[in-house]
Amino acid sequence: MNTKAKLLGAAALVAVTLPGHAVADTADKRIALSNNYAGNSWRQAMLESWAKVGDKAVEDGVVAAADAFTTSENQATEQAAQIQNMILQGYDAIVVNAASPTALNGAIKEACDAGITVVSFDGIVTEPCAWRIAVDFKEMGRQQVEYLAGRLPDGGNLLEIRGLAGVFVDDEIHAGIEEGVAEFPKFKIVGSVHGDWAQDVAQKAVAGVLPSLPEISGVVTQGGDGYGAAQAIKAAGRDMPIIVMGNRQDEMKWWAEARDENGYETLSLSIAPGVGTLALWVAQQVLDGAEVPKDLTVPFLKVTQDTLDETLAATPEGSVANVEYSQEDAKSVIAAAK
Amino acid sequence: MDNSRLSTVLAIPRRPWFWAFAASAIAYFATLSLTEGRGGGELLSAALTFASFSAIVGLGQMFVITLGPGNVDLSIPATMTLAGTLSLKFMDGAAALILPGLALALAVGIGAGIFNYLLIRLLRIPPIIATLSASFLYQSLAIWWNRGLRIKPPEALADFSTGSLAGLPNLTIIGVLIALMSWVVLERSLFGRWVSAFGQNTRAARLSGIPVETVRAVTYIASAVLASFTGYLLASFSGGAALNMGTEYLLISIAVVVIGGCSIAGGNSNVPGIWGGALLMFLVVSMLNSYGFGAGVRLIMTGAIIIAIVAAASGKGRSA
Repeated sequence: MNTKAKLLGAAALVAVTLPGHAVADTADKRIALSNNYAGNSWRQAMLESWAKVGDKAVEDGVVAAADAFTTSENQATEQAAQIQNMILQGYDAIVVNAASPTALNGAIKEACDAGITVVSFDGIVTEPCAWRIAVDFKEMGRQQVEYLAGRLPDGGNLLEIRGLAGVFVDDEIHAGIEEGVAEFPKFKIVGSVHGDWAQDVAQKAVAGVLPSLPEISGVVTQGGDGYGAAQAIKAAGRDMPIIVMGNRQDEMKWWAEARDENGYETLSLSIAPGVGTLALWVAQQVLDGAEVPKDLTVPFLKVTQDTLDETLAATPEGSVANVEYSQEDAKSVIAAAK
Repeated sequence: MDNSRLSTVLAIPRRPWFWAFAASAIAYFATLSLTEGRGGGELLSAALTFASFSAIVGLGQMFVITLGPGNVDLSIPATMTLAGTLSLKFMDGAAALILPGLALALAVGIGAGIFNYLLIRLLRIPPIIATLSASFLYQSLAIWWNRGLRIKPPEALADFSTGSLAGLPNLTIIGVLIALMSWVVLERSLFGRWVSAFGQNTRAARLSGIPVETVRAVTYIASAVLASFTGYLLASFSGGAALNMGTEYLLISIAVVVIGGCSIAGGNSNVPGIWGGALLMFLVVSMLNSYGFGAGVRLIMTGAIIIAIVAAASGKGRSA
């Protein structure tokens, strides 16, 4: 046996024993992302993370393609048609952030029947044949009140800023906040407005409701609305309550500035846009033949007083705090769900 | 008391814009009744501030709608977003670039207006379709340009847009000045007569020698420029441009025109009503929020109030 053959043998042995062994099995598989909306910074960060991690996976030969497609109108009918096109194009897996939890079920079922793996995340679908990577939005709401209870043992008046009316995520976070208030009855929600997860909308809604409200000691939010609320409260000349933030860079920057100025303390939590990359890896694992439970939970990303500077430094200006997931992360999330 | 002054006072309720202001006043006092009058100044100042944005885009939409059936500018939200995104990224927080930034925003408006008009004129696409499809283009351009990152406005510009002069928010002063100019253009200038004539009967207008295509081009450009100016102001006011910042102004810009007592069929508009409608749109939502109504009830009541005011205004208008 010459040296060359020995080396080849060793290389083969290494390839077999490395955890990356599973890689080869999905090297010819093509994954598509069906995304319903791209019109805000969170979605832009999500698409960017997908492109970064997806391109790397293709380059490394883990999968053959990881293409992203976004519908223009955020309509379930349009997204259903998009998924049908993906079926015709012969993708092996479809990762979907859905416009509606139920309206896409028909198209999702068609995909499953065609032997395609469907993984939904963020905007999840109820069709049983699909996998779901859900965030415990309810817990996200509840923890805000729990945090405030720790800071304000005597309780107080809360202003709630909700998201886009009629969207599943808004109902879930709201239900969690109600749960939190039931758990800590010293708090009372004295006002509730819809900020549509947009700073300018939240600013306008809070400015309109503020004059009729008593003193506010805390503001519970859904993300993308905390900075707008702070602007409105400042404009009204009121004392700054504890505003729970949602990981946006402008919110964290405002927080850091207020901290340096007067020791302002708060909590920030939201779902990381990189959750799309977790869905990518879960789809890859399913294609690889791994046994994956249908319902997975991804933890939300929390920024505390201690991690503020570090997170702020790592977040691009004007974007949102993010985490990108690796294949190993996906494996541990899957293992945790079993 | 001479008779003519009395009849002027008595004629006020018959003005098409009267109902928008009356309803605004009712919503204002209904909100204050919750607090026994506290926070009145605060609410008024918030209403004047936020109504300015709606009023400025509403004035642009008003000129377009005055052109008659089928004329509406659906690209207002995307033009706002594009102008806000481009100008804030360009200024990048530098105070020296405030005016060039403004010029860039206005240039975006001029460009968008010309593009909208060319789609309508050269490709003969109905304005609704033309402005809607153009808006996809503008929105995509805004996404492509900056990927939704929020760049902060220059400090001085942020201070100006949130500041006030002698108790009046700066934005309100700008909004009222633009309204005054619009009033002069619509009611006192030849161009205003042309716009109304275009809306009342385009064929008759053309036969009587009015340069109808110039009128239409200028109107669409004016609407886009006002939208881009609002985008610049709104982005500076709220701490940065966002990709979804214009969304709610599509409905609002049309609603304030209708509530303000302008004819949706064109040919007959009034400027004060735009401000009345803009104030009302803010005060109604504030009132319903203050009373703690949920989103469903709020939307239903907002719709019902708009219908009631339009019915009241058009009923009075006919008898007058």
